Amino acid sequence: MIQQLFGFLSYFIPEIICVVLMTTLLVAESTVKEEHGSRGKIIGYALAMLALCLLFLFQNLGEAPRFIFHNAITIDPFSTLIKIIMVLGTMGAIFLSYSSKDIYTNLKSEFAIMAVGVLLGGMLLASANNMLTLYLGIETLSILSYVMASFKRDESTSTEAGMKYALYGGLSAGVALYGISHLYGILGSIQFVDMVDKLPGLEGTNLLIVLVSFMFFFVGIGYKISVFPFHMWTPDVYQGSPIPVTSFFAIVPKMAGLAALIRVSFIFFNNNSALSISWTGLMLVISAMTMTVGNVTAIGQTSVKRLLAFSSIGHVGLMILGVVVLNEQGVRAILFYGIVYMFMTLIAFYITSHLSDMYGTDSYDVFKGLIYKHPTMAIIMAAVLFSLAGMPPFSGFVAKFNIFSVVIEKKLYGIAIVAAINSVIALYYYVKLAKTMIFGQADGDVKVLGFTSGNQAVIIALFIPVLFLGIFWEKVMIMSGNAVLFIK
Amino acid sequence: MMSLASYLIISLILFVVGIVVMIARKNIVAILLGIELILNAAALNFVAYSRYVTNNLDGHIFSLFIIVIAAAEAAVGLAIVIRFFQIKETIHIDEATQLRN
Repeated sequence: MIQQLFGFLSYFIPEIICVVLMTTLLVAESTVKEEHGSRGKIIGYALAMLALCLLFLFQNLGEAPRFIFHNAITIDPFSTLIKIIMVLGTMGAIFLSYSSKDIYTNLKSEFAIMAVGVLLGGMLLASANNMLTLYLGIETLSILSYVMASFKRDESTSTEAGMKYALYGGLSAGVALYGISHLYGILGSIQFVDMVDKLPGLEGTNLLIVLVSFMFFFVGIGYKISVFPFHMWTPDVYQGSPIPVTSFFAIVPKMAGLAALIRVSFIFFNNNSALSISWTGLMLVISAMTMTVGNVTAIGQTSVKRLLAFSSIGHVGLMILGVVVLNEQGVRAILFYGIVYMFMTLIAFYITSHLSDMYGTDSYDVFKGLIYKHPTMAIIMAAVLFSLAGMPPFSGFVAKFNIFSVVIEKKLYGIAIVAAINSVIALYYYVKLAKTMIFGQADGDVKVLGFTSGNQAVIIALFIPVLFLGIFWEKVMIMSGNAVLFIK
Repeated sequence: MMSLASYLIISLILFVVGIVVMIARKNIVAILLGIELILNAAALNFVAYSRYVTNNLDGHIFSLFIIVIAAAEAAVGLAIVIRFFQIKETIHIDEATQLRN
């Protein structure tokens, strides 16, 4: 028994690395003297450990699915791929935090501690196989996120962002928990496998309670991925938080929440019962509303952070369409979208961060005439914006195309039209920003200090996948295709 | 003799009161209390179902976890509220209006 548990630990190495990293960072933070350079070493150590974690994850990618710790956790290629995306996003955010002025100098390594903690929660959520691990994942993710949002603690905006996040988050997690409690009562277990066995035998009041409980349960996940009725916090929190935190929020909690949503949808609703039909119907409506609200509200924004927040809402709305169809192609499309979205978001936030460090604001004006000051960065940013809008030949196009193809294959023409209209709206506000960069008049020819050669190299390295996944996308599709084979 | 229904009704009342507190009260500490009520409603449900319906320990374990998480959440929430109070010198939720369209 004990030996078996220790045996399970060998599949849990990425998570263990994160725990070790968190604790050692805490010790390092409190013991290492604040000399010149020690901060950089701590960040370097964190990045190296995360790279090691990535190595183990890639090794796990080919393994058959396994249920460890009494069915509490699934290690399968699907969750592993999601974890890879999240680890990459975390590394990107930590690297950005090192050079960003938005994070106070004495809090740089604390940022890494918190980020790794959120990452750990996300990993738990991505491979949750019972309600308890799922809830623990959500809360680990959330509670540390509240701290991260209020990281700029001398500024009222950041504190306000953290507070709004904590209040909305506490409410939604509580509602979800109340739903879970009734699910446990009616279905008699907290294990997904045991719960799903009881589903077909339900009728009358019990069926109604289960349906309502699942709606409550969706509040918790929907809040984390910020879909339509629960998206109000997103722009506020994104705007108030420091930019590295925002870039982190745009990737890790969203991917983790999507992973949980996909897994729950596939385990509970992968049949033709009345319950599944109402669930997919709900997803369909929510997806349409999320896309529309995100993209339409993005038009009038003047802050680039808020723009990216609304655009991320729009992207999540599109990604949920892959859940609606409930088949492998849908999940594959979501995974590909997730990978591409991660790279695009990181680049957009990197460039915004360096510019807003320079000018102290993140309004459109800081992008004016960027092409004259930093041609490379301006071209990359413009390309990323076009990619976010889904223009060929960038990878954003392939990602969108995949989602559209699975939706049309299922003959859901109505939602395809809504998504197409939304793409046009999105194109408008992305191009508007690109226009500001290229045709706007630069006020003076000040060089942006943040664009050191190292930072530029990182941005270019992140740009390579955005460009080439648009052309050579088959390999990633095969990888994510292999990942979803075992999802059920 | 208490039945399952009485526990469920009490937890439902707790849940509704929690939601109402969160919506109606303007004091941020009171709103945090509302979150606690909601979490406790769920914990009560878990224990009641565990005792009367499912006869396994899952519910008890779950409610223990809920207690721990509620404490962690309250700690973080209060820390942020203290910071907010130090900056704004009020804990009225209507003062949190810097971030909006």
